[in-house]
Amino acid sequence: MDAATTAAMLHALRDPTGVPSHPLIFQVLMVFTWIPHILFVNLTLGSALMALYAFMRRNEPHWQRLSEAMTKVAKVGVSLLVVLGVAPLLFTQTIYDPQWYASNVLSAAWVIGFIFTLTVGYLAWFTFYFKNHGEHAPAWAGWLGAFGLAMFLLDGFIMHVLSYQGLLPDQWFNWYVPHGQVDMSGTVIHAWQAPRFGFYLAMSATLFGIFLMAYADYFRSRPDRPADYLAFARRMGARIAVVGAGAQLVLLLWWLLDVPSHLGMWAHPMSWALMAFIAVLAAAVWLARTGEPGAGYRLMAMGVGMAALVAIFREALRMAYLQPFAYSAIEYKVLWDVPPFVMFLLTLVGVGGLMGGFIITAAYKSGRVQGMYEADATLRRLAVGSLTSTIVWVAAFIGTGIWIWLRNH
Amino acid sequence: MPEHLGLYPHWYVPAIGSAWVMGIIGTIHVLASHTSVGASWLFALLETKAVRENKPELMEYIKKYGMFLLVFSYIIGSITGPGIWYSVTVASPRGISGLIHNFVWVWATEWVFFFVEVIGVYALVYLLGKIDPRTHLKLTWSFAVASWATMILIVPILSFMMWPGNERWYETGSTFDAAFNLNYFAHLGVRTAFMFAIAGAVGGILAATMKNREVRIEITRFLSKMGLAGLFLGVVMWLWYLQTLPENARIVMETQMAPKYGPFLAAVLLGTLLYFLWTAWKPLQLRQGVAVAMTVVIALFGLWPEERSRESLRKPYVAGQYIYSNQLFARDVPGKGVTSDLPMIEAKGVLQTHMFVPADLRTVTPENKVRAGEFLTKTLCTNCHSIEPDAKLRALPARFGFSDDPVMVKAYLDGALYHGTVPYMPRLPLPEAEREAMAAYIASLSKGAAPMLAAHDALQQGAH
Repeated sequence: MDAATTAAMLHALRDPTGVPSHPLIFQVLMVFTWIPHILFVNLTLGSALMALYAFMRRNEPHWQRLSEAMTKVAKVGVSLLVVLGVAPLLFTQTIYDPQWYASNVLSAAWVIGFIFTLTVGYLAWFTFYFKNHGEHAPAWAGWLGAFGLAMFLLDGFIMHVLSYQGLLPDQWFNWYVPHGQVDMSGTVIHAWQAPRFGFYLAMSATLFGIFLMAYADYFRSRPDRPADYLAFARRMGARIAVVGAGAQLVLLLWWLLDVPSHLGMWAHPMSWALMAFIAVLAAAVWLARTGEPGAGYRLMAMGVGMAALVAIFREALRMAYLQPFAYSAIEYKVLWDVPPFVMFLLTLVGVGGLMGGFIITAAYKSGRVQGMYEADATLRRLAVGSLTSTIVWVAAFIGTGIWIWLRNH
Repeated sequence: MPEHLGLYPHWYVPAIGSAWVMGIIGTIHVLASHTSVGASWLFALLETKAVRENKPELMEYIKKYGMFLLVFSYIIGSITGPGIWYSVTVASPRGISGLIHNFVWVWATEWVFFFVEVIGVYALVYLLGKIDPRTHLKLTWSFAVASWATMILIVPILSFMMWPGNERWYETGSTFDAAFNLNYFAHLGVRTAFMFAIAGAVGGILAATMKNREVRIEITRFLSKMGLAGLFLGVVMWLWYLQTLPENARIVMETQMAPKYGPFLAAVLLGTLLYFLWTAWKPLQLRQGVAVAMTVVIALFGLWPEERSRESLRKPYVAGQYIYSNQLFARDVPGKGVTSDLPMIEAKGVLQTHMFVPADLRTVTPENKVRAGEFLTKTLCTNCHSIEPDAKLRALPARFGFSDDPVMVKAYLDGALYHGTVPYMPRLPLPEAEREAMAAYIASLSKGAAPMLAAHDALQQGAH
């Protein structure tokens, strides 16, 4: 399909309902909510692989302890990556609806497969978690864990495919009507890009390695975590992160080579900013490789920074791919509807800040002590704020609803 | 008038149709999510009792049920939640797009609650005994209110799918006019009631395993009371819900569903009522297998028909009585700048205006008539109808009495469908050539099928 026809198609597919706030708001939210999502994707993949590797060496105490801990991390990680994935998925559908929906329908069977394989994989991982205790944990549990990880990787690949296919709208027609015959089966994966997918896998190594260093720092205050175990984790984390960052650099170069040259990504400042930042991150991890405690949190912040740059780079790339077809998210029709936007902002700050802050603070503070933690004044205030904010929210929403319902009906 | 229809490629699922795929995932999600929300209130009430009456032994049950929820609701529920999005995306892309673009901020708000709910359940389970009881109780109540808030926020969208209930939203396009539709509060009441009932039933699976006899009796009776309250509230809300349905839904219910589903759902309701009365009377007789069986019965014979019938009641629409199930815009929505697709297809047809039509099917010819008809039928009908003669999803051959006569099929396309006179079918004013093509294809599906008399019997059996 030529560029002009593709452009016409994209504009026909775009929802005429428009968006209720400026598209830039959705674009920014899409990019920045993707950051925590990908961080947990990376953390989950890295910790799951480490849990399985350590499981194979579980007759050694450090490895056994590490395997159990990382199994738990991956378990919680999947939950969080799913819930954190909802927001970028929502905002993507809002401003890139033609790309997302067409790509999904064209590989619909894989989309449905994603749901079931993720469920089955997660159940397998939970079983592994329940059985992975002590050096005599059954070997079959490890196979279940490996199956779980394989499903996670498959699901990551499916998500990669759905994103990538959306960037190639000029090919959708040929995928739907190959050789003149309509294919409504949705069973075919039409396009994928090895360096792009590989880059995210390498990023898992980098971020997991950094996480391991921060993990060692976090548990420094716990007397039940031996110092030599924490040093072991810290050293290994540094090694993994350095290898991961190196692999990321190589794969990023390959990725840029694989992107059509007319998109001009070599000249794009985000390409170079990302490359430079990864190099700096690799150097910072290298300097911390000796295993001195205290660098974990700082490197973690740099890891989040890298994920942010990847998120922006990824969006810049999408804009470049769609530019020849005159598709710009910023030009989406706007029909302002302020009240629900205000509701979202107030909920994000009020409920998200207070209840989220309460839970995270409670988990952080109680995790650093052995035995029962007695809440300090800050946590007590957060607890009251959390409960109050949710109750006030429900009362306000239902109250507004009753008023509008009575007015309209 | 736009030059092209905004129709996406189509995903066709043989035999069961994409509607059943959505239904299966939706039913699993509703079971898991409603259990979770109901259980969050059970936890809050039980934990309050435990703290006030100094009964820490009750916390053991909360820990057990919480761990169970982590697997049952927060694996299955939280994956099938976005899973519904995915399944609706591939089955009904324009339908979900319409909902997303109307309710994006409602969904975003729900996401905030979803996030704190997920981290909340982990904290609730793993911080039991790790932080002081009063702080933990505040966590549990926050979790319960936040969980219910996710329901409060998703029901506006679900009830809008049925209809806005008045003309105001079509003019204003306001999210809140759409959200607080006529159906909203009754629908929220039904789901709130159901969450208590299902949490009571699932809670029995764990209660039956409690070692402490007194705790087991106390909790089982607590669950029974919660289940009974849910059932009572549910019946009241359901009666209100019925009063908030649009005319097309009433017709579907009266002519297509009631004779079969009415007594069936009443039997499930009665069975559940007897179950909770029995567990309240003889709590120690409750066995884990019985509680599992009760949960399965509610899911298979209560929830599945309910979800399916809600989908049927919306016909011919998929959202807001402006998007048909076949993805065409059925009417103008001035408040959103949406214009009906029907004038365009009446003037130019689908083959000329749909972007994903093979070049050789753009114009119907004697040579391509059946193929063009197949494309049109699959694109416009298979969201609700299967094409295989013996399929379960309102099979088209059965609907036409297994007629292999294109003239008979076309008579329906020319009349009732063209003019939109069947309340639960979309209006489909296709040009003559496209109706001929569809008729030729649909008739071809019944070539060599059983005679009309047998077909008529099959039609009766297959009706909804």
